[in-house]
Amino acid sequence: MYPDKAPPTDVRTTRRHGTATRRRLLAAALVVPLALGAAACGGDDESSDPNKPVELSIFWWGAEGRATLTEKALELYHQKHPNVTFKKTWQANQGYFDKLATLTAGGNAPDLFQIDDNYIAEYAGRNVTLDLTSYAGDGRLDMSKFPPGLKEYGTVDGKLAGVAFGENTQGLVYDKTLLDKFKLPAPKTGMSWDDYISWAENVSKTAKVPGTQDASAVYQAYWVWLRQRGKDLYKGKELGFDEQDVTAWFELWKGARERGATPTPDVIHEGNATDISKQLVVTGKAATSWVWANQMPELKKNTKDELGVVAYPGDPKAQWARASMYFSVFRGSPNKDQAVDVLNFLANDPEAGKILGTDRGLPSNLEVRQVVADSVTDPSMKQTIAVQNELGKTFGPAPAVPLKGHSKVRSELIRVAEEVQFGRQTPAQGAAAFVAAAKAAIGQG
Amino acid sequence: MRSRLRLLLLLAILAVVLYPLFWMVGTSVKSPQEIVNNIGLVPREFTPGNFTDGWHKFDVGFGRFFLNSAMVAVLAVLGNTISCLLAAYALGRLRFRLRKVWFAVMIGTLLLPGHVLIIPQYILFRTLGWVGGDWPYLPLVVPHFLATEAFFVFLMVQFMRGIPRELDEAAKIDGASPYAIFQHVILPLSRPALVTTAIFSFIWTWNDFFRQLVYLSELQDYTAPVALTLFIDSTSESSVGPMFAMSLLSLVPVFLFFVAFQRMLVEGINTSGLKG
Amino acid sequence: MTTVRTAQSRIEPVRPGPADRQGPRRRRHSENLPGYVFLSPWLLGLLAITAIPMMLSLYLSFTDYDILTPLSEVNWVGWDNYRRMFTSDPSYWHAVQVTVTFALVAVPLKLAAALAVALLLNRAIRGIGLFRGLFYLPSLLGGSVALAIVWRSMFSRDGSFNSFLAFFGIEGAPWVNDPRFALETLMVLAIWQFGAPMVIFLAGLKQVPAELYEAASVDGAGTWSQFRNVTLPMLSPVIFFNLVLETIHGFQGFTAAFVLSNGTGGPVDSTLMYTLDLYIKGFVELNMGYASAMAWVFLLTIGLITVVLFRTGRFWVHYSDAEEH
Repeated sequence: MYPDKAPPTDVRTTRRHGTATRRRLLAAALVVPLALGAAACGGDDESSDPNKPVELSIFWWGAEGRATLTEKALELYHQKHPNVTFKKTWQANQGYFDKLATLTAGGNAPDLFQIDDNYIAEYAGRNVTLDLTSYAGDGRLDMSKFPPGLKEYGTVDGKLAGVAFGENTQGLVYDKTLLDKFKLPAPKTGMSWDDYISWAENVSKTAKVPGTQDASAVYQAYWVWLRQRGKDLYKGKELGFDEQDVTAWFELWKGARERGATPTPDVIHEGNATDISKQLVVTGKAATSWVWANQMPELKKNTKDELGVVAYPGDPKAQWARASMYFSVFRGSPNKDQAVDVLNFLANDPEAGKILGTDRGLPSNLEVRQVVADSVTDPSMKQTIAVQNELGKTFGPAPAVPLKGHSKVRSELIRVAEEVQFGRQTPAQGAAAFVAAAKAAIGQG
Repeated sequence: MRSRLRLLLLLAILAVVLYPLFWMVGTSVKSPQEIVNNIGLVPREFTPGNFTDGWHKFDVGFGRFFLNSAMVAVLAVLGNTISCLLAAYALGRLRFRLRKVWFAVMIGTLLLPGHVLIIPQYILFRTLGWVGGDWPYLPLVVPHFLATEAFFVFLMVQFMRGIPRELDEAAKIDGASPYAIFQHVILPLSRPALVTTAIFSFIWTWNDFFRQLVYLSELQDYTAPVALTLFIDSTSESSVGPMFAMSLLSLVPVFLFFVAFQRMLVEGINTSGLKG
Repeated sequence: MTTVRTAQSRIEPVRPGPADRQGPRRRRHSENLPGYVFLSPWLLGLLAITAIPMMLSLYLSFTDYDILTPLSEVNWVGWDNYRRMFTSDPSYWHAVQVTVTFALVAVPLKLAAALAVALLLNRAIRGIGLFRGLFYLPSLLGGSVALAIVWRSMFSRDGSFNSFLAFFGIEGAPWVNDPRFALETLMVLAIWQFGAPMVIFLAGLKQVPAELYEAASVDGAGTWSQFRNVTLPMLSPVIFFNLVLETIHGFQGFTAAFVLSNGTGGPVDSTLMYTLDLYIKGFVELNMGYASAMAWVFLLTIGLITVVLFRTGRFWVHYSDAEEH
């Protein structure tokens, strides 16, 4: 952000004011009716009658499968609270945040909406989301069965901005069929980064398929690697790393590329897209991909090969239980209490949990998670739960929720890492560029 | 001989131009694994099920989405052809105060990148009470009836300037009013421009994604382009095969619309032109 | 109505004669009432629908508007957004350069392709409608997800285009995934969708009176001379329209870049068109005030280019209504 902080030496400031006021008046004439119109629609009307008919709007992204499950769970809530009906809107992630932002600008945000790390700090920081702290305090929102890391994960600046709806963690997915075919060993949790790259080099030589996707543009891999060095992506309101860290990270992967452990930069670029169907492990262009463990079942649908998953290289303690996504309540909602009650139900009710399954990640409520684990039949989902439970044993403490500007930091890492991959910048140059861009993105001076 | 050559040339260009579409057809009958791994033209195993899967993928059948799209597109065609023709006649043919200023303003409205207008427009339409009503298409349709698409106004102005002015002058000498001239001279002679406007209005509305995404919130109101994006959530599952199948199907109505209407471009040569 | 001028006189490029000029000028504003009657739907649309959002965006370009903060609470930042654009935004000038390169190459080629195919298709033979439709098909795809997938597959390292090149023994590149060639791939996509200007050319060709060609061939003019002396001048208003619109469209070129790069402008910003950068700044990074400023600078720049085009149009565009414009 760049608010009204023109340098104090700026002589124009004083001169500017006269015209500025006039312009402002002019603009106000234009804006005020619109702003009022938009705001008038978000008035508070919290009636005490618990049985009055209420319509809650709810908005999420996902595919058709998620829509079916979510609608079923909401139907269950409706059966238990016949006065509550839902206006459900769902779409794919493309354009989701554009639409959510537009609705918010119009004072028309949905009562309940799904959100992720990229935007939760942005929305919470501008008071779009309802602070759920008091609800969690008096038990109207029960988070007592959540693992501690997950509970805190929705907290931004001391306010509980969202409820974690699913846990996931970093997963290194490998093509088991391919490795078996060439009698190559599978990667193992806990292997060092150097061992891993040597392993990948060996795969490239033997199987004639690049051993690993280059992870230099993958922020969550970089994050884990930083934590293994005792650093972090963010520390308070600042970056938790410096240029030396980035340089070392880029050098590590430059070495891997030179040893032939990775594909060529253009193929790396293909895999840098976050789309599941673009991951090199399913397109057959590399033996491993850097994903989130809960994405396994969907990856599986895109390939005939058998897939396996382990932790990212290095000490697995650096990994943590991450909220794959959240649900938040709109602060301007006329039915806040009811909306929170719905979240409470979706997160804690075992029946609802069984319906929702692991679609958004492992259920946050540990008891519900157990119920789901016992009832799940899909083999790849079973595998995911098993792996995440296994990794969960060594989880380190969760970092704070990413800062405002996080999505910009991510896209800058991709841009700079690709500059280095294509050989247009040295690791040191790239590191300097990335640190500068990341600082600007999070507003660090 | 020359016409043969011309035909050969046309076919050769056509093959190149249409190759990506053949590829789409191939992909629409591939299995999920093959879509990811086989990027060749021809599928190894034929999977026509993508078409039925795609059609019935959501709680609302795809036919409904096509109908919604067709309704919005037809209304846009009506709105654009009527309102833009009126505006174009004024700007292109009549002499009145500030005409040049309005013409410049009209061109000016073409120039601002649309993305910065989305939010102000949304706020405006919401203030007007058009958003999320019983008939959620108001914000998508009403602007077309007020000639807000300057592209078509400009298009028609340019076409009208190709109509010899002597026709108006002659009519004027005969005592015809501007309204009569519009009705008897301009309207019949504007056929090519009207047809072009109709074709583009239909196709562009059919393909418009973002505005429809913003204003439509219930599955049964979705239009084809919005519904098409539901197939692919890049963070979770993606049904590329059914998506390709439905994309191909959604080309059919616009293609037919085009072929039907372009015929009028041909007919234009007989009815318009110098006979008046 | 009577036949207008003899065909003969039109073969010469038409220029407004003095008589044409004086007639209308005397009765310049004689049609005030009907003028505004016909203009009224557009005027209403302008005032009610177009102007308010435009003015609002102009106002927002002087603020720190971030979409999520209510309009009533935005802060006035004066010229900060504009200053930042020209001095301290690292991607701004890069995006300008990408956009200018794109427009300079893609616009003329697209227009040439559209005109060439329109000329080939401007025949009254059976089945020509189908041909026209087939040539228009690529444009029907717009900026759909399907198109993005097709294009990225065809122009990847092992895509169809490289197989085609290999047939001639040429080793291709990973076009769409290579920062050196991604913009060119984008240009090819834009040119490939030449349907819209093609249809407009076709419609324009329909307006050329057949008598002119007959007269020209009686005079013994060959194909080329007919094209130069009849088609081009008669088509010039439509060529002009296409040139202006495609120039605007080329500079605004958002969809192809968005679709092809997944909305990132990558690889390494090689396809970061101005409007894509603007979209990212506005919607992804939530700096809508800044994005609005970018939009207004864009409007002024393209407006200037359009004015220049209109000025040059006086020298080569021939209107049959023969009034000065």
